[in-house]
Amino acid sequence: MKNVLILAGLLVACSLTALGQGYATMPADALVFPVGVAGTVYEDMELGVRGGTLNYANITDPKAWNNHTAKETSTTHYTGRMHRGMLNLDHISGAIVPDFAKSYDISDDGLVVTFYLRQGIKWSDGVEITADDVLFTYNDVILNEDVDCNARAGQRLPDGTYPLMEKVDDYTVKVTLSTIYRPILNSLSFNLMPKHKLAQSVHKLNPSVPAGTFNQTWTLDTPLSELVGNGPWIVTDYQVNTGVTMTRNPYYYGYDPAGTQLPYYDKIYVHIVANQDVSLLKYRNGEIDVFALRPTDIPILLPDSGRKDYTVAITDKAGYGTTWICPNQDIGLADGTNAEKRELYRNVKFRQALAYLLDKDTMIENVLNGLGTAQWTGLSVPSPFYAGRDIYGGPITDNDSVIYEYDLAKATALLDEIGVVDKDGDGWRDLPSGAPLVMELNTNDNTVRVAYSLIIQDDFRAAKLNCNFQVIDFNTLVNQLLGGTGDIILLGLTGGDEPNSGKNVQTSCGNLHAFRFSACDDPDEVDLRIDELMDLGANTFDLDAAFAYYKEYQRLLAQQLGYIYLCQQTFQYTYYNYVGNANMASPISTPAGDNGLLSELCFDKRL
Amino acid sequence: MLTYMLRRTLYMIPLLLIVSLISFSLIKLMPGDYLTVARLNPNLSEQDIQEQVERFGLDKPFLVQYLIWLKNVVQGDFGRSFGTRMPAFKTLFFGGRLFWTIIIAVTTLLLTWLFAIPIGIYSATHQYKASDHAVTFFGFLGLSIPNFFFALVLLWLLVVVFKIGDKGLGISGLLDAKYYGQPFSWAVFVNYMWHLWPVWVVIGTSGMAGLIRLMRGNLLDTLSLPYVQTARSKGLAETVVIYKHAVRNAINPLVTVLGLSLPGLVSGSIVVAIILNLPTVGRAYFAALQQQDEPVIMGALLFFSLFLLIGNVLADFLLAWVDPRIRYD
Repeated sequence: MKNVLILAGLLVACSLTALGQGYATMPADALVFPVGVAGTVYEDMELGVRGGTLNYANITDPKAWNNHTAKETSTTHYTGRMHRGMLNLDHISGAIVPDFAKSYDISDDGLVVTFYLRQGIKWSDGVEITADDVLFTYNDVILNEDVDCNARAGQRLPDGTYPLMEKVDDYTVKVTLSTIYRPILNSLSFNLMPKHKLAQSVHKLNPSVPAGTFNQTWTLDTPLSELVGNGPWIVTDYQVNTGVTMTRNPYYYGYDPAGTQLPYYDKIYVHIVANQDVSLLKYRNGEIDVFALRPTDIPILLPDSGRKDYTVAITDKAGYGTTWICPNQDIGLADGTNAEKRELYRNVKFRQALAYLLDKDTMIENVLNGLGTAQWTGLSVPSPFYAGRDIYGGPITDNDSVIYEYDLAKATALLDEIGVVDKDGDGWRDLPSGAPLVMELNTNDNTVRVAYSLIIQDDFRAAKLNCNFQVIDFNTLVNQLLGGTGDIILLGLTGGDEPNSGKNVQTSCGNLHAFRFSACDDPDEVDLRIDELMDLGANTFDLDAAFAYYKEYQRLLAQQLGYIYLCQQTFQYTYYNYVGNANMASPISTPAGDNGLLSELCFDKRL
Repeated sequence: MLTYMLRRTLYMIPLLLIVSLISFSLIKLMPGDYLTVARLNPNLSEQDIQEQVERFGLDKPFLVQYLIWLKNVVQGDFGRSFGTRMPAFKTLFFGGRLFWTIIIAVTTLLLTWLFAIPIGIYSATHQYKASDHAVTFFGFLGLSIPNFFFALVLLWLLVVVFKIGDKGLGISGLLDAKYYGQPFSWAVFVNYMWHLWPVWVVIGTSGMAGLIRLMRGNLLDTLSLPYVQTARSKGLAETVVIYKHAVRNAINPLVTVLGLSLPGLVSGSIVVAIILNLPTVGRAYFAALQQQDEPVIMGALLFFSLFLLIGNVLADFLLAWVDPRIRYD
């Protein structure tokens, strides 16, 4: 037993990263967050003190420590805290702002973007960061076909070429585009990697290593002392299936206006847990300090909030992503069946009838405990380009939104108009030819989606539309959706601020244009206009002009009803009141979320 | 005996081959593949997905994929995890998972036996009395409550009813967060024990009922045999009759059960390990199944099969060892 215990002790002993000593004084080029400065989005925040550990829970283990080969948020949750790029999202507003670059400018013709880098800033091991690191990350990692890197897809310009990145001097980088492409600023916010640590693993720079070596670099078995970053946190300990410790990077370049180096916390400890239920228990047990709530957690937590001194923040801010039903307009196309049903699904009036039958108020009330918002188009509600706004980034008014409020009478009138009536007297509406109409609604084993589906099935049946509902395996469902073999599928997609990220969903040849793949070979006028608007929106740096294009595209989407959108849960958060600045958590950034930007501005008020 | 051992060992090779083919077929029969989730990523085009399909070799026909895998296995290469990019077995065992799996399984097994055997004996010697019914009832209660549910209820009780947070104690995992990275000490050891007892209770209670019933049944059979009556008629004390004569014979079949428990040591208690945040091989296997990380699933299935076969052989040997009447030729 003694030997076993010694071995256990050895396994638990962490391998501390050899972090440098930090800056002697605040660098002249430090990035200063205007915490508490009036007139900025940071004005409601408090200046913090350094020290303490922030605890929160996360559901999955990291797969590796390599930011650019990562495929899942379970990995980027950590690598995104270890690395920063030339640009980043503003920690409060979510706008794209300079980060490791202190500024950038765009040439008059919109084809050259020049970045001016911060000088005297170091990697976590004390080596200076220069333009060589930026070029290494871009040219030798992201654009290197030997590297399995998802970020490469976002760099491709509409004409199929990639931007050309060149070094002007040690602190200036020039990016030349073949065509004006506004989303490139998003793509160029890629996280930087240290050339001095990783160049040796890149086959094209070091032919003595086999091709593909970089994909197996910085895996979980890499000694943590090898990991080097420029972000606020560096992973210093990993207990498999149990927890990850991140320690403040002594060379992080973020400061507050009082000259205190960020982050305020010394460490973050991430508890890896089985599911949200265990997270909730850990929060109630006082083991974790902040927690992203589900609507059902609120009544459990509210009664104890006074005694335990925590805040349950209930907001009306919508989260990112979309949930929709997708009537397959190509149903039976491949095998020559279901011709009449296909014709019906392609009739926009039929899809409008379905849209009028979606009782979003009931979905929000019954499924999301009243904490949700209806979604009318394909872009995430928080996006500044969302069509429910009157101007770019303005408040949501829904003045110009194409809205289909639940209305059984309108739906039945539309169905009657297109000849979908009960012809054989069996109580169900039939196809115009008199053949029975039976719709199959499918989703995967997800509590919220199943609950939505049951409400939809009831409402369809109230309109005498015979609709069966079945839960099927997620992978089978995805195969049906992407194979064009489903009937009506209810699913969701991730989303972000940038409309161009949804190009694969909305343009006629996109691989997620799942409501009608045949549009690629046979686009109609609306498809062509949407394709055009997506290009126009991307080909201008004028945000107001881009907003106008994207608004029109979203209105067309809402009229065309390819995907018919449902609701989105609003953002709810809870935090112990000793966590300073946690009250600023929003869908854009939380201390514990996958981008976790707020983690570097939170602090322990008890110190 | 030596010939028998050699024969049994050699039989394992074709068996493992068949297991690998069936496992590979089952994985391929599952809908979707490792890239299914990536296909729903709006940022990736068809071309990007296709690049990855080719990179992982998922575009080749089933039989070709299997033969490539088999050829590599013969050369000692079990492939790399699609997710972690580490070798399949390293992914399964990484971070002390094998160590903790064995520790948790062995300690649970020992505790189960430590309680189940005396309870079984007590139950048999107090047949049909209220106390017999009581222990049997509690044994079956443990068997019938699903482990994942019991684990969640136990955590809930600790947090909400016993309010252990007020005492500075944590739930799930191997240690409270404040002890990670600390040098090994008495306090760390005590904290390990605090985190391990729910595991023993949850897994132990589920396995105990079967053992209690087995011990009880065997002992009742043995107690009715003529030699036990002979021992009693000789005037031996009842404790000597039971413990020296009856129990020693009644326990023999349980030795076989012990041998067959071997595969369960590494593959069992997956759900409990997930709820209670324990680093085990089963948990890595479960994660691989969820992501359809084929090399890891294949590695795990082969590993579990190997343990199953070794467990069977061990059970045979143990039986021959404890019962001199059994001989293998």
